[in-house]
Amino acid sequence: MSARYKLGIDVGGTFTDLFLWSSEGTVATTKALSTPADPSLGVLDGLRAAAAGEGLAVEELAGRVTTIVHGTTVTTNAALTRGGARTGLVTTAGVRDALEMRRGIREEQYDNRYRNIEPLVARHLRRCARGRLDYRGTELEELALEDVRDAARYLREQGVEAVAICFMNSFADPSHERAAAEIVRAELPDAFVSVSSELLPTIRFYNRLSTTVLNAYVGPILSGYLESLTEKLAGVGFAGTLLVMQSNGGVALPASVRERPATTLLSGPAGGPAAALAYVRPHGGDDCILADMGGTSFDATLVRGGAAAMYAESDLDRLRIALPMLAITTIGAGGGSIGWIDEGGLLRMGPRSAGALPGPACYGRGGEQATCTDANLLLGYLDPGFFAGGELALDVDQAAAAVRQGVAEPLGLDVEAAAAGMYRVINTNMAHGVREITVKRGVDPREFPLVVAGGAGALHACMIALELGLPSLVMPPTASVLCAVGMLRSDLAHDFLRSYVCRFSELDIGRVRRLYEEAAAHGAAQLAAEGIAAGRIEHTLHLDLRYAKQYHEVSVPVGIDVIERGDLEGIAALFHREHDRLYGYDLADGDTELELINLRVRSIGRTTKPPLVEIPAGGEDPGAALKGERRAFVPEEDGFADISVYDGHALCPGNVVTGPALIERADTTLFVSASFEARVDSHSSCLLTRKET
Amino acid sequence: MSDTEIDKILVSIIGRSLKAFTDEMSVSMEKTTRSPILCEAKDFVTGLYDAEGRMLEQTENLPILSFSLGPVCEHIAETFRGDVHPGDVFFHNDVFTLGNQNNDVAAFKPIFAGERLVAWSATKGHQADIGGNVRGGYNPNATEVWQEALRIPAVKVVDRGVVRRDVWDLIFANVRLDIVQEDMRAEIGACTVGERRLVELIERIGLERFEVHKAHLFEAAGRMMAAEIRSIPDGVYRGEGRVFFDGRNPGSKYTIRVEITVDGERIVFDYSETDAQTDGFVNGTYTSSASATLLTFLQMVNPDIPHNHGMTRGIEIVIPEGTLLNASYPAATTFGNHLCPPNADAIMRALAPVIPERVTAGWNNLLCSLSSGTDPRKDDTYVDIMFMGLKGGSGAMADCDGYDHIGMIDASGGLLDQDYEMFEQQTPHLLLEHELRCDSAGAGRHRGGLGVRTRYRVGGEDTQLVTFGDGDEEGAFGAMGGGEGTLNSIELHYPDGRRYKTTSKDMVSEVPAGTEYVQEAGGGGGWGDPREREERTVRREVQDEVISLEAAREVYGVVLDAETLEIDESATAELRGEG
Repeated sequence: MSARYKLGIDVGGTFTDLFLWSSEGTVATTKALSTPADPSLGVLDGLRAAAAGEGLAVEELAGRVTTIVHGTTVTTNAALTRGGARTGLVTTAGVRDALEMRRGIREEQYDNRYRNIEPLVARHLRRCARGRLDYRGTELEELALEDVRDAARYLREQGVEAVAICFMNSFADPSHERAAAEIVRAELPDAFVSVSSELLPTIRFYNRLSTTVLNAYVGPILSGYLESLTEKLAGVGFAGTLLVMQSNGGVALPASVRERPATTLLSGPAGGPAAALAYVRPHGGDDCILADMGGTSFDATLVRGGAAAMYAESDLDRLRIALPMLAITTIGAGGGSIGWIDEGGLLRMGPRSAGALPGPACYGRGGEQATCTDANLLLGYLDPGFFAGGELALDVDQAAAAVRQGVAEPLGLDVEAAAAGMYRVINTNMAHGVREITVKRGVDPREFPLVVAGGAGALHACMIALELGLPSLVMPPTASVLCAVGMLRSDLAHDFLRSYVCRFSELDIGRVRRLYEEAAAHGAAQLAAEGIAAGRIEHTLHLDLRYAKQYHEVSVPVGIDVIERGDLEGIAALFHREHDRLYGYDLADGDTELELINLRVRSIGRTTKPPLVEIPAGGEDPGAALKGERRAFVPEEDGFADISVYDGHALCPGNVVTGPALIERADTTLFVSASFEARVDSHSSCLLTRKET
Repeated sequence: MSDTEIDKILVSIIGRSLKAFTDEMSVSMEKTTRSPILCEAKDFVTGLYDAEGRMLEQTENLPILSFSLGPVCEHIAETFRGDVHPGDVFFHNDVFTLGNQNNDVAAFKPIFAGERLVAWSATKGHQADIGGNVRGGYNPNATEVWQEALRIPAVKVVDRGVVRRDVWDLIFANVRLDIVQEDMRAEIGACTVGERRLVELIERIGLERFEVHKAHLFEAAGRMMAAEIRSIPDGVYRGEGRVFFDGRNPGSKYTIRVEITVDGERIVFDYSETDAQTDGFVNGTYTSSASATLLTFLQMVNPDIPHNHGMTRGIEIVIPEGTLLNASYPAATTFGNHLCPPNADAIMRALAPVIPERVTAGWNNLLCSLSSGTDPRKDDTYVDIMFMGLKGGSGAMADCDGYDHIGMIDASGGLLDQDYEMFEQQTPHLLLEHELRCDSAGAGRHRGGLGVRTRYRVGGEDTQLVTFGDGDEEGAFGAMGGGEGTLNSIELHYPDGRRYKTTSKDMVSEVPAGTEYVQEAGGGGGWGDPREREERTVRREVQDEVISLEAAREVYGVVLDAETLEIDESATAELRGEG
């Protein structure tokens, strides 16, 4: 029988990454150019290239693929570029402008030219209906169905493709929203309708409203894209299962995400953590920080206890989303980031990027500004003749001219010192990106290894680790397509939220257990419908807790056994500890009561993960892979030295490379700084640890 | 590299780290406090200061609170010389020892590297109550500080990690609401967050290097500010702002006068000609007034200048004691923060002729109310400031519109609306309307920001309403031919049909449940001739109902078909004098 395949596809801004795993245990990676106008074309290109790599016709390969897991940035881009559907809103009379006012914030307080964002729904497409519930969901005024009908008809005349429905206090009782949805669906049968009480039945009007509108805004885009993709895949004979990556790190069937399209807003990078875990676990860990540095941006993700950390709410380009999303911090730091001098004479890097065109000065495509890649070239980290495996020759003189003019001369430094400064500043920026998801959330990053991903990450990872005091780093052999790898390693996951607002003194622990069981049963049923066997279904529970009269909660993971034992003191102890860690104090020895607000249940359907390719370890001597020496910057000594350069493809499991050294692969170069040594493990990852001093 | 050699890159790293720390302190405050004034509206600031009280970095949700924390650190260090230890915590609110407003209560924590005091972390938030005659503060009848609040001069409340129970109890025995002590604990917690981070940073890079590089950080900010001041033509410029009604004398009116002297890299703001202090509570403290000056000026310079001690090097602010902006002991001063808008008006007007591209037209002045009473659902007292209602529009600029619903210039968009549903949980009131207000913006080639209209139905018992603010007699000024923003107003519609329009400094007791509260916050001033505003923009804004058809025609000279909203080109050209 011929091999069967599984395929991970990550459509990014510049490249579409494919990771192909065959039942015979081989793996292959492919990169195709993305086609933003219709990303499914790029997917097909990638599929053809992958087939060619296997020596198959595209139909032959497609017919043998059992599962495709797909991460897409179509919804992300629609939101960021305001390219979503023409969207209308039906809301409670009197609060028409909440979406646009965004609670009256101006993020830049001292910049009087700073503009508000364009709302996703123009004011005249925001229509109101009378009808009112109070804070408990009690009806104070009946819903005026005629208002809803008028609104729906106006929106139809205006040609809207999607409608969001969000009423005051609907988290407490969805009946008004349901009645309105029925009318809207009847009047606009082709429109995508998003109902706040279905999507996010929790308190905080603005958060729920913004999330519901975003969901509507990207709904038709995602549906259209998935239709086109499914059609094209079927056209080349794919008859397996297509799964879509969600922002919560889990995968789901297209039908599920089409209902809740806002759950795909971070679909692209969400695959990373599962892959990172796979490569970290052989070293005994369930925790890591994933650092993915590409051409323009740097994504940092925290993975704890075998799962990526989540935010209950996030902002995407100043648009509030209150759905669970991976705790990914994105900052403008990549190979193309431009170095500049501010008015105070301080060196800055980014967030502006030279992008792919014109690109860094050393690309010789007309770029004149000093970028991170130019600095890396001048520091000796990149081989001008072996960039992208030798496909793009780098121009050292152009890089030097750009750095001299943009950074060195204004600072009165020589070119190499300026390049070293650029390298350090961007490393600091990235280190602070990591702080955002760790220290700022009360997590000490020094407990975790750093997993290196993306084309540019491996040159900077050691310095980020040093700045944060991280003990070790792991660079997987598939670092440059890590998210695509992770998609094949992700489980199905659905999140459920149940509100039970109650002080601990009056808490009915039986009710907590029942709410948990009810949500879990719901999740299990959905997973069963997605074809997951009962034995592969698991549930986790977080409790949102706070001190009485506080208005924000701390989400604490709680074992089901603790609930079954009814151990309130144990729960309280977990909460006090977390509160102190996050906020500098706890009230454990006072008489302040605790209050439960929500249960957060996640239902997980475990998928079968392809095993990692394993090669038995050989000797420590990496001599066979030594390519030569190159003069490069050694940050620990603040100077240049001749350091060894190894061929990453020739290194064998067991080999140990002592820093400072460079390990070159066709798609990325790893800089092992003087503080580290790298050991190749049996999965061909490089494990970097601090040298004994 | 030796410890004393400047590493320019390390300077950037330290600067970036300090900003991250004060932001983290801010998150801690937002997430742990109880009063909606803090956890919803973010009426607080956080900061780090060196051992001498010089500002290292701040997070200024409400800038008017910000620029006094450093001097108070210095004051505490002096008062407690030889008696400042690791684990100590100090409280302070006293307006006669550098506080800005009684309700803005600060917590300070000294930070040590080993035995040595190296820095302070501090937070200051608007507390829901701090004693005095009126629940929640803002006593419009006050003539002395003691009628306004409990005075807390520099007081040590935690000694080497142990709470001084007697001192703590003395303070909170004089405060009406229990949540205030919890919110002061939250302030201490945020200080601890800042302390932990700064100690980690200093351990990593070493104290000597930290000190040397800190000086360089000040230097960089100073250089940036010097370049900004240099870019303003030398000269002496004068401007005025008006204050209406002191809360005691109907029809009273006061003028703030500023004389700004620019000389190379120095700028002096001199308020010597400002009117004398009032006999009521409409008085500034030096700190609140100087903060107002500074935050207004900061809007005219590069917004990227780091906010540290070096920034203020070339700036001098002269406010003689006894004037409206620096009242003498023991005057009442609770209104002082709200003298910021007319102070900003004076500065904008003074500098408009010389740097027209950097000033704005007038911002909507604040008019605010504070409701308090009993919430029968919880059998508990509440205090709520109607933040969402007070936020009007900002002034337009030469090249852009004002910002809608941003609120007074003292906060510049840092103060948030309560979430509507949280408002209905936290108070017994029911929100009826909170929307942008058509035709509220001052017209202009660039219009001012829009104001809002807010209505709620009063619920609960024993409801008392206090108003404080201005802008009900004079709208935000227009510039270069732009129009004025609309006026502020607050009206009560009683269940029996009576209506009462409050004054701008009022106190109304026993407001019955079912009363409808109606507030309008005006728009910002416009810039330039409205007849030069782009026709399509006017058309879109008519479609969005933020400009009426009538205003489009009468004010902007754009004639639209009432049904289709098509532009009538010839009638428009005629009105605009282009025909």
